[in-house]
Amino acid sequence: MTGEMADKVAGLAPEMVMLTGACACLLIGLSRSVAARRATPWLAGLTLAVAGMFVLIDYGASRAAEADVVTGVEAGPINALAMYVKGAAIVIGLLLLLVAATTPDALRATRDTEGHGKRFDPSLSVRGEFYAFFLFSLTGVMLVGAAEDLAWLFLAIELTSLPTYVMIAISRDKLQAHESAVKYFFLGAMAAAMFLFGFTLLYGATGTTRLFGPTMGDGVTSIQQYLIDVSAGGGSAPLLFTAGMVLSIIGLAFKIAAVPMHFYAADVYEGAATPVTAFLAFVPKAAGFVALVLLLAPVTVLKTGDPAVEALTWTLWIIAALTMTVGNVLGLLQNSVKRMLAYSSIAHSGYMVVALVAFAGPTGEGTESMASAFGAVLFYLVAYGLGNLGAFAVLACLQRRGEDAQTFDDLAGLVKRAPGLAAIMLISVLSLIGLPPTVGFLGKVYMSSAAIDAGCVGLVVIALLNSAISAVYYLRLASVCFFREPTGDVTPTPDAARRSGAAIAAAAAVALGVVGGPLVTISGDVAAERAVAPRSTSQPNLVKPDDVDDAPPDAPDDTKTVDVNGEAQPVSNPVGDAGVDQLP
Amino acid sequence: MLTLMAQPAVQAVNIDAISGKLLSAHVVECFDWIQVGNFTAGFTYWFDPLTILMLCVVTGVGTLVVIYAAGYMKGDPGYARFFAYVSLFIFAMTTLVMADNLVLLYLGWEGVGLCSYLLIGYYYKKPTAVAAAKKAFIVNRIGDLGFALGIFLTYYHFDTVRFGELLPLWNALLAGGGTEEWSIQLIPYLLMLGAFGKSAQLPLYVWLPDAMEGPTPVSALIHAATMVTAGVYMIVRLLPIFTLSPYALPTVATVGALTALFAATIALCQYDLKKVFAYSTISQLGYMFLGVGAVSIAADSGGISGGASGEGAVGGVFHLFTHAFFKALLFLTAGSVMHACAGQLDLRKLSGLRHKMPVTCWLMFVGCLALAGVPFTAGFFSKDTVLAATLAQGMPFTDAAGVQHAGNYWYVILALIGLLTALLTALYTFRLWFRVFLGPVEFTMGDEHHEEEERHGGTEARRHEGAEDGDTHGADDAHGANDAHHEPHEMPWLMNGPLVVLAVGAIVAGYMGGWIESSVAHATAGVAMPPSDVEPAHHTLFGMDLHVAMMVISGIVAGVGIMLASWFHWFDRDSASALAGSWPRTVLILRHKYFVDELYDAIIVRPLRMLGNVFFQVDRLIIDGLVMFIGVVPRWIGLSVRPTQRGVLQGYGLGMVTGVAAIAILVWLALT
Repeated sequence: MTGEMADKVAGLAPEMVMLTGACACLLIGLSRSVAARRATPWLAGLTLAVAGMFVLIDYGASRAAEADVVTGVEAGPINALAMYVKGAAIVIGLLLLLVAATTPDALRATRDTEGHGKRFDPSLSVRGEFYAFFLFSLTGVMLVGAAEDLAWLFLAIELTSLPTYVMIAISRDKLQAHESAVKYFFLGAMAAAMFLFGFTLLYGATGTTRLFGPTMGDGVTSIQQYLIDVSAGGGSAPLLFTAGMVLSIIGLAFKIAAVPMHFYAADVYEGAATPVTAFLAFVPKAAGFVALVLLLAPVTVLKTGDPAVEALTWTLWIIAALTMTVGNVLGLLQNSVKRMLAYSSIAHSGYMVVALVAFAGPTGEGTESMASAFGAVLFYLVAYGLGNLGAFAVLACLQRRGEDAQTFDDLAGLVKRAPGLAAIMLISVLSLIGLPPTVGFLGKVYMSSAAIDAGCVGLVVIALLNSAISAVYYLRLASVCFFREPTGDVTPTPDAARRSGAAIAAAAAVALGVVGGPLVTISGDVAAERAVAPRSTSQPNLVKPDDVDDAPPDAPDDTKTVDVNGEAQPVSNPVGDAGVDQLP
Repeated sequence: MLTLMAQPAVQAVNIDAISGKLLSAHVVECFDWIQVGNFTAGFTYWFDPLTILMLCVVTGVGTLVVIYAAGYMKGDPGYARFFAYVSLFIFAMTTLVMADNLVLLYLGWEGVGLCSYLLIGYYYKKPTAVAAAKKAFIVNRIGDLGFALGIFLTYYHFDTVRFGELLPLWNALLAGGGTEEWSIQLIPYLLMLGAFGKSAQLPLYVWLPDAMEGPTPVSALIHAATMVTAGVYMIVRLLPIFTLSPYALPTVATVGALTALFAATIALCQYDLKKVFAYSTISQLGYMFLGVGAVSIAADSGGISGGASGEGAVGGVFHLFTHAFFKALLFLTAGSVMHACAGQLDLRKLSGLRHKMPVTCWLMFVGCLALAGVPFTAGFFSKDTVLAATLAQGMPFTDAAGVQHAGNYWYVILALIGLLTALLTALYTFRLWFRVFLGPVEFTMGDEHHEEEERHGGTEARRHEGAEDGDTHGADDAHGANDAHHEPHEMPWLMNGPLVVLAVGAIVAGYMGGWIESSVAHATAGVAMPPSDVEPAHHTLFGMDLHVAMMVISGIVAGVGIMLASWFHWFDRDSASALAGSWPRTVLILRHKYFVDELYDAIIVRPLRMLGNVFFQVDRLIIDGLVMFIGVVPRWIGLSVRPTQRGVLQGYGLGMVTGVAAIAILVWLALT
């Protein structure tokens, strides 16, 4: 077991770096020297960069291992999905850091303790905490990507969420922020209880918390293997299992702000400082969707028509349809841009769930449909993340009496005040609507084609109608920026970091929209690896590449299994094609 | 100025390519553009002699026109905008001629269309210019619709859009006896529609005369030398598909000949200098199509019939090449006249300018000689090639096997139409030249002033009131002291220099037939050129070689035309008026361009507008109502859902639990 542990820990080097960096931020944030305290955002950036380097090293190692396969040398455990998630988390994390870098500067606590002749009061300072929790939360997402066990998954999701409660509370001096944090905390706890309950039911039904892989030597099976056995035996998944999955999905719906767990979104997003809102709209969501992919991946081994598959498809179908509609319909009514973007982010979760529904497509015909379903989710996450980040960052760049801009009126005539910001807003909005040549378009195309391939035409129709509705409020945002006369006393912030974060997000949204092909391929490959049956290579008891072609020893020799293994062949190659270095 | 610098660079590339003795098609892949499934359309360039030829025309004439424009547009507030558009045009046009697939060609095709639109509407404050730009754009859309459909059908049938794959496929199909599939036979007609739109042929020519609203260098470059010849280029490039339908090329030839005659007659009675040249361009484009259409293929004999040759295509491209020089020259000299006379373009108000602007006068003379097809000028040789090829199509011949074939007499008629047009061409060309440069010195200045002059002349920018009523200068006394600035003046050498080069080209280009023949032969290899072991049919006419005979005839025709013109428009201008007075109705019809614009207005524009009004009402009442409905319903839903978002924590918790229960029940119901 020690070797296994060592391998696992070796694979977690980026997370280790992140945790170390977060702790260092906490410490330095309490330094007596103002300069040292001011260095915390730099330290956080450095941490992200180093973690990114470790991901790249892992990636390089995986390429090397890929080369080794030919020579038959034992390959280490590589998890392409984890690498994709880590890469995306770090890259978008860096952008978020750019946007959020000066958030603590605006706080009264900071101003009071850093001015001339002011005495430093450690109990008031929040600098260190802010960046530490920022890094903790990102670490959580990265760990979610690497999860192979329900317990790990749960802890990773909570590691993502818990720091955000604090971040919301300390991000603004207003009571509203505290109120938001408390709401978020209580409702989040309730949701966590719900999906933890779901997890326990899953454990009860299958007798294991492991998600993937064949039965190991000590008799510990995995949910995937359990389902293969059940399916091979001609039976169907027990009701307990279905109930556990449905509960887990609905609980996780909180993380992605999907109906019926969406209620908090608008209040919480509005209450937090805008950079933190940008963070909230991406990081917990990413964790939630990756978790959903990981939970649903084992289920893909079941035959079409299995009651569990039916039930999950229906659950997701209902959630998708309601989420899109509720998000867009309520988005129409908002006067606060932040609230509007909150509802729009709900709607985008709905679109991503549409792609998830496709997981249960024609499973008998191979893994392509689920791979493209999961791939579409992973790609859409990035696409949505960029568009959303751009929009929130523009809001964060505008100040009205020391507060971030909030309403449509604040944005009026933006093109005259700050043409660059107006252009970024336009690009972001176009990307969120899903118009070419932005990445949002590719995301929607990918999502729709995955769903259509799986036969969910009705849902795609709903999604497109919703896109049309969303165009109303998105274009309203763009038209306010361009066609109305400036009013009020809104001033663009001189904060170069925020502006550059916004600009990079917009540039990436256009660039990926034009040349997003490689990322589509990568996300599909990455997802394919998770969507197929036994991933022998992720097993602690390493299987030699030669064994990969054979069915796992204890897998029943049944057509289904062979089929699945046959499909798995190209991807069960110990190395995923994750090209983390090609991320935006 | 950047443009000026960019042009020689493009030229250098060409020269490189030529000096590299590029004999076979050379494909250069730049990058993938569209890749969907098995459909690929890349930014891939196709270099063969025809491409090089077209590039020489585009960049060569382009460079000269741009240099000229640097002087012509001086002081214009939109100077930078103008050169930006022109550069964009050069990019689009070179893309068009270098494209190695239909989609990239279409990109260039639409690109030049866009630039044409932008440049016609360059003086966007002039309502007529804006209307002309819209007209050009819309009429071209009709043609482009055909082109696009043609491309779709091509892809549908042949699964590729790349020339390198299409041409062998088509040639193989041709060698295999053609096809009966109607939707393949339809392709050339659709492509033809695109060519007719872009190259201003009947019935889609109406946009070109109006396009003269753009700055004159634009008329010279885009609407005479390069863009409008894109249709000719496209047909030559895709010749094999046109031979797959027995009537496609004859249709091209017929439309070309009719357009040539039709436009020439209109040009006879126009008074606007640029309009005359515009109709003349349409007419000359007609010649090019006549030439390209005079390629015949006997599909049943598995390829080439003895009498057929690619000579027609050679003639078409040859005429394209020479026409680029002399028509650019003519337009630019017309621009010089316009520039010198403050925008005056009315033939009736310009006379005897030869002393005022001698260089321009003789430069335009060279251009007119070439256009009229006077022997030993460029236009003479190329026009002759077209007419001879057309006539050859119509003559009986004996093929290699000794079988007697009757000619296609239709082509004889077309050749005669071509000859008649040649007469008219000489007539209207020299009508213009004699009127403007010879005769008594009389002129009325126009009402446009260049900024530079305004700076000198103070208040002279005032409208010239006398411009309407008389053909004599001086009727308006208010002119007074400012007259010194109102004299037509010779152009600076920045503008005349390029014209001299063009004038030399207008003569010399006629002696480059061999080069053009080999270029076109290469491009149309396997289609039109006879295999080497088949002796091309040798036609004689009046005991002479067909070509020689044709040269003699067209030389005579041109001479007659010029003599007529000199009589009516130089020696005895009153007789011209008398002649016109004796056929008032004909003159009226010609002056109003056969009322085609009015006809189109009555049968197309107005009904469409009425239909548009109907749809507008439908849209307003029904669709908008629906949209309002769609917009309102989500709002109602939203308002009804809104109370759930009150911000009360317990309420949210309750909502979440209720939602979970509801979904559980729904799933349960769905499953049972």
